[in-house]
Amino acid sequence: MIKQSVIENVLEAALSTGGDFSEVFIEDKFVNECALQSGKIEQSISGRDFGIGIRIFSGLQSIYTYTNDFSEEGLLAAAKRAALAINGGATGTIQPLKKEIITPIHNIIILPNSVEHARKATVMRQANDIARNYDERISQVKVRYLDEEQHVLIANSEGKFVEDTRIHSRLVIQATASEGKEMQTGFYGPGAHAGFEFIENLNLEHYAGEAARIAVTMLHADECPSGKFPVIIDNEFGGVIFHEACGHGLEATAVAKNNSVFANRLGEKVAPDIVTYIDDGTLPNEWGSLNIDDEGEKTRKNILIENGILKGYMIDKFNARRMNAEPTGSSRRQSYRFNPTSRMTNTYIAPGTSTPDEIITSTEYGIYAKYMGGGQVNPSTGDYNFAVMEAYIVKDGKIDRPVRGATLIGNGAKTLQLVDRVGNNLAHGAGMCGSISGSLPVNVGQPMIRVSEMTVGGTKGE
Amino acid sequence: MNIAEYQEKLLDQAIEAGFTEAEVYFERKSSFQCMLYEGQIDSYETSEDGGLSLRALHNGKMGYAYTEKLDDDSMSFLINSVKANADVLDEDEGIDIFEGSNEYAPHNFYNEELETIGIPEKIELLRLIEQKIRAYDSRIITLDYCILEEYTTERSLTNSKNLSLSHKENGLVIFLSTVVKEGEELKTGSYLKMTRDFHTLNADEIAKAAAEEALANLGETSIPSGKYPIILRSDATASLLSTFMPILSAENAQKDQSLFKGKVGQKVASDALTLLNAPFHPEALSGASFDGEGVATTEQAIILDGTLQTLLHNRKTAKKEGSETSGHAHKDSYKGTLSIAPQNLYISPGKRSQEELVALVSEGVLITELSGLHSGTNTVSGDFSVAAKGFHIQDGKIGSPVKQMTIAGNFFEFLNNIEEISSKLFFLPDGYGSPSLLVKELSVTVE
Repeated sequence: MIKQSVIENVLEAALSTGGDFSEVFIEDKFVNECALQSGKIEQSISGRDFGIGIRIFSGLQSIYTYTNDFSEEGLLAAAKRAALAINGGATGTIQPLKKEIITPIHNIIILPNSVEHARKATVMRQANDIARNYDERISQVKVRYLDEEQHVLIANSEGKFVEDTRIHSRLVIQATASEGKEMQTGFYGPGAHAGFEFIENLNLEHYAGEAARIAVTMLHADECPSGKFPVIIDNEFGGVIFHEACGHGLEATAVAKNNSVFANRLGEKVAPDIVTYIDDGTLPNEWGSLNIDDEGEKTRKNILIENGILKGYMIDKFNARRMNAEPTGSSRRQSYRFNPTSRMTNTYIAPGTSTPDEIITSTEYGIYAKYMGGGQVNPSTGDYNFAVMEAYIVKDGKIDRPVRGATLIGNGAKTLQLVDRVGNNLAHGAGMCGSISGSLPVNVGQPMIRVSEMTVGGTKGE
Repeated sequence: MNIAEYQEKLLDQAIEAGFTEAEVYFERKSSFQCMLYEGQIDSYETSEDGGLSLRALHNGKMGYAYTEKLDDDSMSFLINSVKANADVLDEDEGIDIFEGSNEYAPHNFYNEELETIGIPEKIELLRLIEQKIRAYDSRIITLDYCILEEYTTERSLTNSKNLSLSHKENGLVIFLSTVVKEGEELKTGSYLKMTRDFHTLNADEIAKAAAEEALANLGETSIPSGKYPIILRSDATASLLSTFMPILSAENAQKDQSLFKGKVGQKVASDALTLLNAPFHPEALSGASFDGEGVATTEQAIILDGTLQTLLHNRKTAKKEGSETSGHAHKDSYKGTLSIAPQNLYISPGKRSQEELVALVSEGVLITELSGLHSGTNTVSGDFSVAAKGFHIQDGKIGSPVKQMTIAGNFFEFLNNIEEISSKLFFLPDGYGSPSLLVKELSVTVE
């Protein structure tokens, strides 16, 4: 993308004021996005994102600059401008760049850019038809298709020089059901680190059908009662609860500065024995997977909590300095516009032994959250909240009736202690996670779990 | 390559390639951001970036493409992509490129002085603020965010109908999140300040406000869950307004995605509510004199004394209804297609102070912060159930902070339940503004 000699000069210029580490991240990304609504393909856009991020460390100080001026003069000027933030010190030296060849672990069969728009539109129309035909009360269906082909080159003053290509494909289906004055929506958004083969092989009957079914089910659901109940959270995207409640608190971004309830607690019991929590960026073709992270480190399987004991954190190169630890292949950024930091990839609760049926039949009264919406957390306090897209009351060990408008709130560290069942049906769901280094594809996953008590906020009151 | 030349060359090539009409939009941003951690510079960022998009008509259909790499290769990438993107569309509703409004309000969104003040002086101010916050009270343990960001953005829109418009704006935003601890209780409080005039920033005032915001959250108690009268503080109201903005979009109404469909001229809110679109509001940092299609923006009442005056239109939605655009076409950046958004949307202030509103409540809850808005709201049905922070109100006075809560209701009912509006307006950086509101009741669940 840019000549190696130019990269070397930029890495050197970045160290001209005494920095002890410099890095160049070059990104060239092609994206296609297409939207269907009211049965028509009505928006389609393609684009090319291109830019360079330059990072310098000086002890515990991190300097970042980015530009899309790719001329040698432009890049050198940017590096020098960034270096000005460091006071004095001798010029640092760089190691000779040594090209690393990576073995891709995610097999890509059909590059999205090689596929004609019309073929993508065909899949979108099929999804639309399935959702529309599900029920006459489906009044609107939106289908969004996305693909991206991201080429990255990462080089640093320690001699690293590595390139990678990441391919992402996603189809998002949103159905609206209406009757009288009532309107409700259902949503499903499968995605993968894969090419167009993922889109063409999608089980549309399932995904589009579920989006429509959720909307119709919620149309006449009662308002959710509020109070404290046992809550059963189903597998797959249900894992968003631990993504918010624990995952963010295990990122070095929060841990390095002790702004996390999990800081300085390695080896301590933070959860019941049945809880094992893992972040694994190597799962083949999963939405949150990568060959290498955005610092050029190979991704890996990081055990965060094992049988209830806190085993590790997700650590990037910069926070590793503050923590006196090694990076864990967890450094990510949305694009060259973001200073990378520790983030999740595919995070999940490992399967346990309970069957979903056992979990439900052993619950006298509670809430069953079948599909979760999104949520957020304050990592400093661990307080989280999130929305339930499709919820039911469980009564006498049976699923009783659907309820809507449920929000779950609580504290991550406390909720973790209250997990009393872990199912045997692990599955992963695709989502976007927003934090300081931007919005990233991540998987959340879990088997069905039960929390003995959670605060449920609903519209109905107690 | 010179941008004006690139734009002109691209327009010429587009017409040559068979497009009947074309528009080139360019945006360039430079920014500086600094984060302090315990007196030291933790991160320091600068940037110079931008991109360019081509929007053009091919066989009567509008295609889009953008690039951040401005070279000759990108011209053919843009032209081929726009063609492919136009051809795949099903719609052909005769939308076209705009020839220009008769006049555009001259308004300055840029303060040159802000850029001439050096970075060291700005970092020094942030350092001083951080120092003052940490010294303010022994219960303050750290700041988890202490950030200053400054930006300058330039935009230009040129099209084959000889319209050429440009816009330049800048601003500075300080964001502070203070962590406080007493016994085992750990709380945070965040504070945001934005300006275009550096000299209005007072370190003592900012530090005091940021520290008090966090300290007030200590000593939480629980109250029974139930329905309470609510004072929704200005900043929380502005964020709720921003989340529910899509209900005002004519495009959503036309696609059965807004319950405001067919409601223009009807009563949709309490008499107390007037909602204004103000592209030139002096207290807002955003705004523009032209919209995403190049249409001149104007001051407008969207809701007047509770009656819906208009939905937000672009030229396409207006054409569908045989009316004129209200100038609300929106381009998020060169990366997006055209959508709809207001330019500074705010609730018109009333006469009483927030304290006077609180004094009207015998028992209720003051809500100071909402979170989970992206997931806990349904803009189609109007239902919301979101996490909230706030205080118990008893006998007209603000009491203890309440444990984590959720508040739930329906936005359409909420609009009808507004009883009083305070006099002090607060704007978010994205241009949504509000005073504090007294609302009849909402469902409150306490952890």
